[in-house]
Amino acid sequence: MKMICIIPAHNEEENIQKTVQEAKKYIDTVLVVNDGSKDKTKELSKKTDAIVINHTINRGQGSALETGNEYARRNNFDLVIHFDADGQFLAKEIPEIIEPLKNGYDVSFGSRFLGKKSKMPWIKKHIIMRIGKAINYVFLGVKTTDPQSGFRAMNRKALEKIKIENDGMAHCSEILAKTHKENLLFKEVPITVIYNEFGQSFGSGFKTLKDLIIHKINK
Amino acid sequence: MWQQIIAFSIIIIFIFRLSILRKNNKIKSNEFNFWIIFWCLAAIPVLFLIQIDIILFNLGFSGGGINFLLYLAILFLFYLIFKLRLKIVNLEAKLTKLIREIALDSNKKDNNKEDNNK
Repeated sequence: MKMICIIPAHNEEENIQKTVQEAKKYIDTVLVVNDGSKDKTKELSKKTDAIVINHTINRGQGSALETGNEYARRNNFDLVIHFDADGQFLAKEIPEIIEPLKNGYDVSFGSRFLGKKSKMPWIKKHIIMRIGKAINYVFLGVKTTDPQSGFRAMNRKALEKIKIENDGMAHCSEILAKTHKENLLFKEVPITVIYNEFGQSFGSGFKTLKDLIIHKINK
Repeated sequence: MWQQIIAFSIIIIFIFRLSILRKNNKIKSNEFNFWIIFWCLAAIPVLFLIQIDIILFNLGFSGGGINFLLYLAILFLFYLIFKLRLKIVNLEAKLTKLIREIALDSNKKDNNKEDNNK
């Protein structure tokens, strides 16, 4: 089975090399999509064993992931993993996220709310995530324990059916919605997330909601 | 009367400004034509402000005709902003596709170069 780990990166010079090295321990092909970084993310990525694709202008995480997905489609990969560049996810959990796909599932989503302990900030856990879950349910009709996890894996069938159209952070909800719409079999897998000072804020949560609404109107 | 004079003055200023922009080739002729027609059409209800007042009064509205025109103008502006927003979103989507194709294409070219060097 041909597998690829897609890492979208924007201004991640501090973490990108370590993230690639860690991912490489569990997967042969790692692809970094440098999303118009202003720092040395591109140069540092090229020094690793990863394949590097460069967006000349920053287009957002969703768009970088879709570029990675398109690379995987064109190069006949059977399985893709989406992994963040900022070191929040644990590469050692890659085999766990792949496991359901070996057992007949089409997509597996990492969930921060299924047992494993993530030191999620209180406001994020009890307010932002609950609003996110409610929005996903009301707008998209999807019920999952984690509405915005960026750690996921999908097989070829899902890769062909899910084309990410939201350039920004709304891609998480979009992937969930398309999984549901296309009747793809999915499973949530417990993951650990290491939190730092960055990540999605309340303001960017609103931006995600705005992107979802505009995308819905524009269809 | 004063309301009409002010409204007409504003329209004339905009038309004058448009003419300068056109003269300096800052806007294209179709855009110039659109805005000239737009301002001429805007002048028509201002011309019949008293009649609009009477119609509104007969319909049971208490506000004057100029207020009604302002409400219409604001509604039109909201519609324009909405249309512009949709246009920008479409352009952004096209830009993303373009950036993606350039990125994938240059990766392919780099790979071909490496293969040739081997």
